Amino acid sequence: MQHDNIAIEVKSLRKEFKVSSSGKGFLGKLQALFHRRHKIITAVKDIDFKISRGEFVGYVGENGAGKSTTIKMLTGILVPTSGTAEVNGIVPYKNRKKNAAKIGVVFGQRTQLWWDLPVRESFDLLRVIFRVSRSEFDRQMDKLEQALDLKPLLEMPVRKLSLGQRMRCDLAASLIHNPPVLFLDEPTIGLDVLAKENIRNFLAEINREEGTTIILTTHDMNDIEQLCKRLIILEEGRIMFDGETEFLKQKFVHEKVIEVEFHEDGCVIQGIPGVTVVREQGCKKWLTLDNDNSGIGEVIGTIASQYKIKDISVKEPSVESIIRNIYDNRVRLSTPSGKSFTE
Amino acid sequence: MEAIKIYLTLFATSIKARMEYKASFLFYIFAILSFYIGQIGLLFVLLSRFHQIKGWAMGEMIFLYSLHAFAYGFTNLIFSQLVNFDKMVVDGEFDRVLVRPLSPLGQVMFSKFEVSTAAHLIIGFTALYYGSHLAGIVWTLNKALLFPVIVGGGVLIAGGIRLMVTAVAFWTLRNQSLVHTVIFSSKEFINYPVNIYNIGMQFFLTFIFPIAFINFYPAHFFLDRSGEGLLHPALEMGTPIVGIIVFTISIFTWKVGVNHYQSTGS
Repeated sequence: MQHDNIAIEVKSLRKEFKVSSSGKGFLGKLQALFHRRHKIITAVKDIDFKISRGEFVGYVGENGAGKSTTIKMLTGILVPTSGTAEVNGIVPYKNRKKNAAKIGVVFGQRTQLWWDLPVRESFDLLRVIFRVSRSEFDRQMDKLEQALDLKPLLEMPVRKLSLGQRMRCDLAASLIHNPPVLFLDEPTIGLDVLAKENIRNFLAEINREEGTTIILTTHDMNDIEQLCKRLIILEEGRIMFDGETEFLKQKFVHEKVIEVEFHEDGCVIQGIPGVTVVREQGCKKWLTLDNDNSGIGEVIGTIASQYKIKDISVKEPSVESIIRNIYDNRVRLSTPSGKSFTE
Repeated sequence: MEAIKIYLTLFATSIKARMEYKASFLFYIFAILSFYIGQIGLLFVLLSRFHQIKGWAMGEMIFLYSLHAFAYGFTNLIFSQLVNFDKMVVDGEFDRVLVRPLSPLGQVMFSKFEVSTAAHLIIGFTALYYGSHLAGIVWTLNKALLFPVIVGGGVLIAGGIRLMVTAVAFWTLRNQSLVHTVIFSSKEFINYPVNIYNIGMQFFLTFIFPIAFINFYPAHFFLDRSGEGLLHPALEMGTPIVGIIVFTISIFTWKVGVNHYQSTGS
């Protein structure tokens, strides 16, 4: 089978929503009652991508960029307006049940557990729904219980769990049938730092050990930096970047910031070639390289030889700042495949 | 076969979840019983003044009522979750249903246990007993065998109508007022024999909104009554067929609706 290596394939996928707009004020609303006006909003605009088995892909974009809409089409919740999508070789919105058996889904804002039941019973029920055999279930639960530290939560009703605890249980719930593809829609939303860290470690582990293909939407760029080798950035329903996270960081290497704290005696600097001072605070100054060609080591060498310095460090550009840059300036990007993503 | 086992498990779970709130559970039964007792009381008052309504005596009226109570009792048991379905659509909770390897409709239907059924059935049995006693129904084997078939057909009609109204939520999101008009208010029509209405209304309740098949037409068969008004003898046995037609249309409407589901914003 030629599809063997492809987990997800999306071709000119498009989703339009019909939104009825009611007029302004009382009269407008009254008018809308009799004369409905519709507006077509296109949430996803003919996008294409392929994801291979075992990939860990970050799917990001601002609110309303079309992330969730894409995920919902891939999970069979929404039917696309045009275009096609295949997950594990199955068309999700035509074959919902078959698709559901082979994917795991976590919506950060919504639980799939039974609110009034103890966690254990939700798991049992999902075992039955997903037709997982007892022995397979026990084996999988053993692993999940350990990795996500579920033991103390199993007897608690879901409504009494904290957000972080609930998310751990929801993750486990989505993996009971050990699906080859896992969709995560903002799984770290609202969690504290420690809880986030635990979830990230777990996700990295199942991606590595089980080879689970993971698609993650998030607003937390630390999730992306730590987990996703590949990044797809969406803007207004179009893909504006699809490539390695590392590539993006390389591309913006001149965004690196050198943080220098000079000695009080020689605080006034007379301009160092190839460097711009972007911020200062007393004797502490932040410098950026003017272009990515000038070696960072060279610049540091120059500074160290001409001035007395107390402390010096180099800050990597964060993916967040890179993405913000892309949004703000519509930076011209070209991916390794040579495609250009500007409008 | 396995699917049935899964649904039963889901069903058992919903009972367990419901039992978490025992007091509300008991109050609910109480509310349903008082509702029925009130209705039957009204019937008694009417009949004690007029002795009969359009040629239907007390016993016959009570039998009519029993068919109605059985059909709505089972319909409430199986389709109760549909009444609040628009909430699932508005909250986007239906998302969850679509990502499980089970029929979406099956999941919605079995996700809630409706205890009021117990009350409907108590009323149904009581009315059946007194109705057939007072009306002097002779229970032949034929009648005894056909009774559950007619109730089943009535469930398909009432359930089908409910499902169609429910599916409207896929387009309009909110449909509570429609649910209350079509499902709850409309059933008052068949508390009385349908021939008390004018011919237009009878036509409507037979061919457009066919709830007259839930009790009025089949009651003729059980009571050995001869037809009047619109009634053609064939309609007496029409309930199961009408039920299958209504339910088939409703399943189709539901399926089109599911593909029209828009979820909620990201």
